[in-house]
Amino acid sequence: MHKIWAVVRREFLERVRTKWFIISTVLGPVFMIGITVLPAVLASSGGGPRAVAVVDEGSGEFAARLVTQLGTGNRFTATRVSADGPRASEVLDSLTRTVQAKTLDGFLIVGPSAVESGIVEYRGRNVSSLRDMALLEGVLRQVVVVERLTRRGIDPAVVQEAQERIDFRTSRITKRGATAETGEATFFLAYFVGFVLYMAIFLYSVNVMRSVIDEKQTRIIEVLVSSLKPFQLMFGKVIGVGGVGLFQFSIWGATAALLFRYRQAVFSAIGVSSEQAAAVQMPVVGGALVVLILLYFLFGYVLYSALFAVVGASVNTESEAQQAQMPVTMLLVAAIIMFPVVLNEPSGKLAMVMGLIPFFSPIIMPIRYAASEVPLGEVVLSLAVLALSTLAIVWLASRIYRVGILMYGKRPSVREMLRWAKES
Amino acid sequence: MSPIPHTTSERIVDLERITKRFAGHVAVSELSLSVPRGVVFGLLGPNGAGKTTTIRMMMNIMIPDEGVVRLFGDDLGGRHHSARIGYLPEERGLYKKMRVREVLIFLAETKGVARAVAAKKADHWLERLDLADWRLRKVEELSKGMQQKVQFISTMLHSPELLILDEPFAGLDPINAQTLKDIIVELARGGTTIIFSTHQMDVAEKICDHVCIIARGRKVLDGGLAEVKQVHGGTHVAVAFEDGGERAADTLNDRCLVAKADDYGPFAELALADGADPQDLLERLVRSGARLRRFERIEPSLHRIFLDKVGAETEQHGAEVSRA
Repeated sequence: MHKIWAVVRREFLERVRTKWFIISTVLGPVFMIGITVLPAVLASSGGGPRAVAVVDEGSGEFAARLVTQLGTGNRFTATRVSADGPRASEVLDSLTRTVQAKTLDGFLIVGPSAVESGIVEYRGRNVSSLRDMALLEGVLRQVVVVERLTRRGIDPAVVQEAQERIDFRTSRITKRGATAETGEATFFLAYFVGFVLYMAIFLYSVNVMRSVIDEKQTRIIEVLVSSLKPFQLMFGKVIGVGGVGLFQFSIWGATAALLFRYRQAVFSAIGVSSEQAAAVQMPVVGGALVVLILLYFLFGYVLYSALFAVVGASVNTESEAQQAQMPVTMLLVAAIIMFPVVLNEPSGKLAMVMGLIPFFSPIIMPIRYAASEVPLGEVVLSLAVLALSTLAIVWLASRIYRVGILMYGKRPSVREMLRWAKES
Repeated sequence: MSPIPHTTSERIVDLERITKRFAGHVAVSELSLSVPRGVVFGLLGPNGAGKTTTIRMMMNIMIPDEGVVRLFGDDLGGRHHSARIGYLPEERGLYKKMRVREVLIFLAETKGVARAVAAKKADHWLERLDLADWRLRKVEELSKGMQQKVQFISTMLHSPELLILDEPFAGLDPINAQTLKDIIVELARGGTTIIFSTHQMDVAEKICDHVCIIARGRKVLDGGLAEVKQVHGGTHVAVAFEDGGERAADTLNDRCLVAKADDYGPFAELALADGADPQDLLERLVRSGARLRRFERIEPSLHRIFLDKVGAETEQHGAEVSRA
């Protein structure tokens, strides 16, 4: 026990003292918030209003109404350009050049029968901005509908009323009843949880692999195995590196809790009014979710670090490891690829199955739990499968590890490694 | 070639007909040897003789295909007794990013030494080996020789009864090699049993009580140093000349007088032919007009014995191969 403790202590302290640890502790949250929040922020804002021209090819009042309607929001500034008859293609050419010169973002071409056929064309630089296109389409749809209804003699007041904005709100129902949580916040939380788990499991188990390679490469391994059982060494390493992970999580967790507690002070310090601050939605992270995240992290980390330890024991150098770790990395990446599917339908069959497979469950189950209600039985079953698989894999890995660490030269095949496990 | 009887008959290491095969070749073949308590035991042999494999089997890092390894009278293996053994492998390494003192404390802890005790001993030995100023430096900042000294210290911090050193002198400069020799002799006086491998015969000759020469995985010779020299027999003479010794050439080439001559530069070691009298040799040399600086009857050097034995073994092997 004393010996394992010595290994744990060394692995922990040597890592915590590095610049890498300090930098990742400080920059970790910045990076993660960046990677999750930034795309959303970028997609929603993205510069000032878009300058759009409406090319009227003889649609009558329709084009004018479209210009007015586009102007009501603050996203677009619209101008009407009339292009009747033979001049039409000339006008389009000059507008295209204006777009190329970036003084205009794009233009809508409204033909004489636009209202009847519902066909309107948009040409512009920003067609890949889904949000802009959705807004344009929305405005267009609204104006077309008003036009069509008015032509059929419907009272403009009624039409106006029918066009009133709908405010669609979502909130999540859990066993504890309705929560104040919105659908967006839930999605965001689940995505964040999955991503953090993926990063943590990957980074720390790769660290275990590095440590194994380092001992092999410096040849200190021979001294170590003359006094430590390979299992003691591997176990101590996994615990020590995992401890660094938990330590880092605790720092992040404590910082987040403090920030949340004193958020008013923080907001006022950076010049955000309390009104705006109240509008910032905080997802509710229940105690059960935290426990679940920790459990799945621990098992997932131990499972993957055992696999990575085998990779480390089977190679001679870090560069060889780049290639050899592919199969293990692919398993983790597969879990990431399943993110959208699981988030879309957290209670679906695929999400359920993925939640039971031990290589994916450490990431998939916490996502499901954060995004929806998961029956307790499923959680218990998934954890049981994961725990048993982890034990089995650690056992198998330690047998391959103890042969591999003293082998130099040609990389063994999977079959050879299994033979080691059988014979050792 | 039976091991010499020792005052304390306790065998610290006992190998019984151990064999280790690797894909395609036999590294160690039916090797038996025993190391009594308190001796300095030299495991000698040319490169590739199986010294390191033998030591790894002693340490239970490799399991012999056949045969039994006993340490301290039982076959529980090196790791079981690790607190009583200090081991310096041939392929040595340290954690490059760790501080010297920290590495030493950690390695002592893996032997079961408490941190505080380990720290005190580490400081003592670092001082003794002129590394005190480097104790807080990272290992990677040290020169190779310094690292080797740190590795040597790491084998002693738990005051082992048995020290197994695989090529401890390789790569050390004469000053550090001397320091190491002094410490080995001192530890041996204190009762530590020391086994070390080397192919440097002069070092072995100076500090070993007991030697075992192996070649191509087989034992060639085994016994106390004095006994080995006696058994090797023959009459050996060391000669040195003031001039180049050209005038003595005819005499030295006379196979009726001199069976073999090793020219070491400053002097030559001559093995006389069977029945030849050193007195005759001296007379012939004086008559030849060569100016003698040294003429001395000596015991055969370990170097000579090594060459004779290993050479014979190789020739015999060659004969076997050509016959086959």
